[in-house]
Amino acid sequence: MNETIQLLISGIAQGMIYSLVAFGYNMTYATSRMFNFSNGNFLMLGGVVGYALYMSAKLPFIAMLLGIVLVGLIMGWILYKTSIEPSLQSKSNVAWILATLAFGIILKNSVEVFWSTDDFRFESPLGNTPLRFGTVGVYPQEILIIIVSLLIVVGVEAFKKYSILGKAIVAVSEDKNTASLMGINQHFIILFSFLLASVIACIAGTLVAPITLVSATMGTVLGVKAYAVSIIGGLESGYGVLLGGLIIGVSESLTARFISTGYKDAPGFILLILILLFLPSGIFGKKVIKKV
Amino acid sequence: MNKKYISYLLIALPLLLPIITDNQYYIHGVVCRIIIYAILVASLDLIVGYIGDVSIGHAGFFAIGAYTVAILTARPELNSESTLHYFPQLPFGIALIMGILLSGLAGFILGFPALRLTGPYLAVVTIAYGLLIYTVINEQETLTNGTKGITMRTLEVGGFSFAGNNLLYLVYPMLILALLLIRNLTKSFWGRAFEAIKYSEVAAANSGISKSYYKIWAFVISAGIAGLAGGLFAQLDAYISPNTFSYNFSVEMLIALIVGGTQSITGNILGVSVYVLLPDLFNRFNDYRLIVFGIALLLVLFFLPKGLAGLVSKFMAKYAHFFSNEKTESERLTDLQQRSENVDLWNEMPQSTSDDILKTHHLTMRFGGLTAVNQLDMTVKRGTVHGLIGPNGSGKSTTVNLLTGIYKPVDGTMTALGTDLKPMHTYQRAKLGIARTFQNLQLFSDMTALQNVMVGMHNSFKSNLLAILFGTKACRKEELLIEAKAFKWLQFVGLESVAFEQAKNLAYGQARLLEIARALASNPALLLLDEPAAGLTSGEIEKINALILKMKDAGISILLIEHHMDMISAVSDEVTVLDFGKKIAAGDYRTVRNDPHVIRAYLGTEG
Repeated sequence: MNETIQLLISGIAQGMIYSLVAFGYNMTYATSRMFNFSNGNFLMLGGVVGYALYMSAKLPFIAMLLGIVLVGLIMGWILYKTSIEPSLQSKSNVAWILATLAFGIILKNSVEVFWSTDDFRFESPLGNTPLRFGTVGVYPQEILIIIVSLLIVVGVEAFKKYSILGKAIVAVSEDKNTASLMGINQHFIILFSFLLASVIACIAGTLVAPITLVSATMGTVLGVKAYAVSIIGGLESGYGVLLGGLIIGVSESLTARFISTGYKDAPGFILLILILLFLPSGIFGKKVIKKV
Repeated sequence: MNKKYISYLLIALPLLLPIITDNQYYIHGVVCRIIIYAILVASLDLIVGYIGDVSIGHAGFFAIGAYTVAILTARPELNSESTLHYFPQLPFGIALIMGILLSGLAGFILGFPALRLTGPYLAVVTIAYGLLIYTVINEQETLTNGTKGITMRTLEVGGFSFAGNNLLYLVYPMLILALLLIRNLTKSFWGRAFEAIKYSEVAAANSGISKSYYKIWAFVISAGIAGLAGGLFAQLDAYISPNTFSYNFSVEMLIALIVGGTQSITGNILGVSVYVLLPDLFNRFNDYRLIVFGIALLLVLFFLPKGLAGLVSKFMAKYAHFFSNEKTESERLTDLQQRSENVDLWNEMPQSTSDDILKTHHLTMRFGGLTAVNQLDMTVKRGTVHGLIGPNGSGKSTTVNLLTGIYKPVDGTMTALGTDLKPMHTYQRAKLGIARTFQNLQLFSDMTALQNVMVGMHNSFKSNLLAILFGTKACRKEELLIEAKAFKWLQFVGLESVAFEQAKNLAYGQARLLEIARALASNPALLLLDEPAAGLTSGEIEKINALILKMKDAGISILLIEHHMDMISAVSDEVTVLDFGKKIAAGDYRTVRNDPHVIRAYLGTEG
């Protein structure tokens, strides 16, 4: 029983990381019908830069956090300029998929060439001693991940609901043309959503680093699972990713324990295929009627 | 000497390589690898280039082919320390065929999500699919020996060993075969159906193309060919392990395809060659190759839409006609003119016995709270032009969409040519003899005008898939006959001079005419014209009026949706008037025009 609770908490923590990456997919998909197929590599960048600042350069935690936000903004802007903006003008409706994939492998390979191909341990600022709740032991980092992830998702959703810039994002998501007529600069909104998604992914990278290892490859499969989370939750939905992350994270940790670690990725992918077959717009997605 | 034989000789030339040199590294390691990957990339091109979907899971099909061959041919003595349990030890040929079939089956299974999904959704599913296959080959140790892989013997047939450079004698003919099949397929009505689905699913369905059928087949064929590549790959090093078949490999093959250029065999080979050769030419390139490929992909995507093949074909344009048997455009035009001279356009029009070509009863459509079509009763009589008019938003286009099966009515019945339409899919209604044009043009933009009309004639093609793949004589003859007839349809609407122009380059009025030609080409009994005159000049409208009357004379019944009253009065026999989805008047034009309800709907009431 205790073991199951521990498994559940680790699963939830892992799932929240997927949710953060997926949250980025959904936000940009809403504003631009595109998302960064390599958001997982932005997470990796967050982990790597976090490691360099906090573990190697021994900067204070808060300085590292600022550094990560800055890196997220800069890379998000470069992504926008090199991949998203040209895709907006391209006639092909799959160009963005390939462009962001390309950007991601450039990023990953650059980290390998200019940093390292090895794995590194990232020490949690909260230490490595499990907190004891009766007989259940939980790593403080896992609790941190869950709290911070929830704060980010709720915070951004509240921002969209109550601030004027946030409302502009919702407006562009609902109807680009009408939003433009209302004087909203939709290209700025799209850029903004990509910056936000990149920064969130980078923060997710430092959050997850202490419970995995930091390496150039840490984002690849994680990013793929985040697609599953995003689509299970519904690409159009904000809070849906939390449920999606929960489902994938928990099913993964249970599979790893009770079936085989080798198969821990399988349930997420199978679930993804099944959901798309039977509920093409996800659990919370809206159904759209195509007009001719 | 005949050009044809020169090109045959050129194709056979690489077979001499093992005789000229015995450099193992370049012939076996590089050329054979390029060949095998080229088959894989060409299979990927069917999905990405022709169907227009992104697959990031082709490494999975490649793996199925490779592992089927490895498992079925492996020998116990070479895998003595493995966890393998089964050693069927089948001959290579049988194993290869099994690999192709199994991979095709996997493609069939992937085809179903592909029907409902496009763009990012499908791309993500292909990733999940590829990763699942990767997980299974890593974990099913009794079947695949897990991460340690499977060792095979080098292939030997009747004492001839395909070891080392001799592998070329196996893989090169397979490459030629695969490329030939793909070329035959993509140049046939199948290939046009694939592309039609890519450019406009709706217009494809209205030309009688079943999206499910063609899309699933495309996935099956693509996966089968990828499986062939995989089966050959198993022989490359006579050893395989899961690492080759990772997600990254799928991505890299996709990059090779795009950089080389889609919908082009030259592009497939070029892209793969660059992918294999670059790491070989530059020292330490392997370390940073993904940076280079990533940048190359971005550049090609936005600056070189046709990839390297586009560059090469520009450069080679001067010499290309020497190698191919293709004629120049004007030659082809005269040729088509001659061939189409004796074509009779109207002899195959379906003859209906029923007097009511189309009948709706209480037809109703709602979108949420809005009733777009409200209990519509309408009858179109055989051989007449029936006008359907009404102010904006009165439900005219919705009615057409109901009749063609794009929307499902919430209530009411509709029958055409004595058949209940309700249970039929769009493409089945097209086969029954209902054709339409679109208010918002739905042409297949990158295809030529002639090809657009040939898509309209989709149901005239009778060749089966095997005949097409192997390009039989009957098949080529059919293609030529239908091409000639398609040209005649272009002549009918006056577009013969732009037969080889891409649809996207046509002037607006020409595009409208092309829509009519494409619809007519399907030999419809009932033609639905959805605002054919929208945006046209009065001269062009005159022309369309004349066409409508000619079609009517030929026995086609027409439902004409229009705003232009002049046009309605000039050509229609009967008119139905809609307002807010309800029929407010019906009868001949004169009666309808003086009907107080109609006047009110169009001009409002006094006071």
